[in-house]
Amino acid sequence: MTVPSWRIHGLSVEGYRHRRQGLPCQDACGYVVTSSVAVLAVADGAGSRPRSEEGSRLAVNLAAEHFARRAGAAVDVPPGETVHELLRDALQDVSDDFLDRTGSDAPDFATTLTVVVLAPGWLGHLTVGDGFVVVRAGTEDGERQFHLLPQAAAVSEYSNETVFLTSRDATRWTRTECLSDHGIDGVLLSTDGLAQAMLNRSASGAPSPNASFADAVFRSLDTAPDDADGKLAALLRSDRLTALNADDKTLLRAVRPSRG
Amino acid sequence: MHSEYPPTLPAEYADIEFENNAQRMPLVLCLDTSSSMAGAPIQALNTALAEWTRELHDDVSLSYSVEVAVVTFGGQSVGAWRGPHLLDPRTPTSPFIPAHAFQAPQLTAAGVTLMTEALELSMHIVAARKAELRASGLQYYRPQVCLVTDGLPTDPTGHLTDSWQRLIPVLAEEQRSRRFRLYAIGVGGITDRGEQVLQAFAPKFNARLQGFPFRELLQMMSASANAEQKGAGDEVFEKIFSQFKTQRPAWEA
Repeated sequence: MTVPSWRIHGLSVEGYRHRRQGLPCQDACGYVVTSSVAVLAVADGAGSRPRSEEGSRLAVNLAAEHFARRAGAAVDVPPGETVHELLRDALQDVSDDFLDRTGSDAPDFATTLTVVVLAPGWLGHLTVGDGFVVVRAGTEDGERQFHLLPQAAAVSEYSNETVFLTSRDATRWTRTECLSDHGIDGVLLSTDGLAQAMLNRSASGAPSPNASFADAVFRSLDTAPDDADGKLAALLRSDRLTALNADDKTLLRAVRPSRG
Repeated sequence: MHSEYPPTLPAEYADIEFENNAQRMPLVLCLDTSSSMAGAPIQALNTALAEWTRELHDDVSLSYSVEVAVVTFGGQSVGAWRGPHLLDPRTPTSPFIPAHAFQAPQLTAAGVTLMTEALELSMHIVAARKAELRASGLQYYRPQVCLVTDGLPTDPTGHLTDSWQRLIPVLAEEQRSRRFRLYAIGVGGITDRGEQVLQAFAPKFNARLQGFPFRELLQMMSASANAEQKGAGDEVFEKIFSQFKTQRPAWEA
């Protein structure tokens, strides 16, 4: 089996607060496509830690490497428990490698990590911290449908507190998912900088994707736009998004052009 | 809200619809408006509030997340203000207003110093606002309450009272549970005794300042709100505050 062809694009931009203070973007995103799988990863370096922009970059690179290796060796496994184990094992590899490289300074590199593995028979999702994933799948009454994958449990009353790869009990707060829906033709990953723009809140407390946002960012990649970087960066840096959240922003998206 | 924004979006993203889902940051200014504040001090406070309001409106990162409520203690009672309007104590209306829509009240100074009751009202409105935000599914940051006074707590007849001591265990528990961050600032001619009260209220974040540096005080609240949004650790708040106490601009350090 070969991995179906996904078109992948994304970037991270520094938020208003960092821009004003001349600080670097502490978010990172990246992906790798092998002959059998695609791995997408986004990370949000902790604003309070001195080397978090290096931490988020390292986490994304290690995730691309380890998740691709683990998943590449297991593309034929059926969706289910084996995939969950694979995701957790790959996270363990990432954590071990991350700690090897950062040593006793690891807390200075604190970062969240959200990963999606696109394999021929399944989609695997793992998240440590408050990153999130929205998928596009199916149509209802002519409208494309968007679904927020289950997020890791909140760790406190306050939305700006989360768990990091380097947190002592990170595995306890890690969430994994395995989907096997061949109707999924769009996947986007983001850090919490877009949580307010991308997700609508309701009285029941359960967030749901902002369909107009998800639709626009998937649609623009469906049509392979010119200057995708420039247009996406302009969106992510716009005052409209800054007013909702002044943090760094990351959007990594993958679409499968009209399945045949 | 979108009509208030410049059309900076590329055409293919122009039709995205946004709700105002910004994470909220309730901020209470709990201000002494008793007779000792009359004259230049209350004028300085009004001027600083107006100036801070303009800065808040211009701050893209705070204007849609910070929500301001003003509580005053002076005259014969305590009062909650919704922007420029003093609320009827019986109204269920919340005094919190998004920073981008906040207008400073015009405060006058007279009467007694019901500091204890004002702090109790502040805690009450913070808890009520959190419940409202939760009920509408909105996320929030840890609120900030800033007490500013130049005097000592009195009873409704203007006599000094020790009733403020009932607040000590309550505030200790609220701080331990991280329900909000309390700042207690003494200004003007506050006495040693007055300073001790503030130390008991806010063991970490209390200060006794020369004169009436309200402008710096309000800027410190904005700097703390920014730090809160960044997810800064306690040491950052302590640094901002200690630089404020020495009356150097922490937000520029």
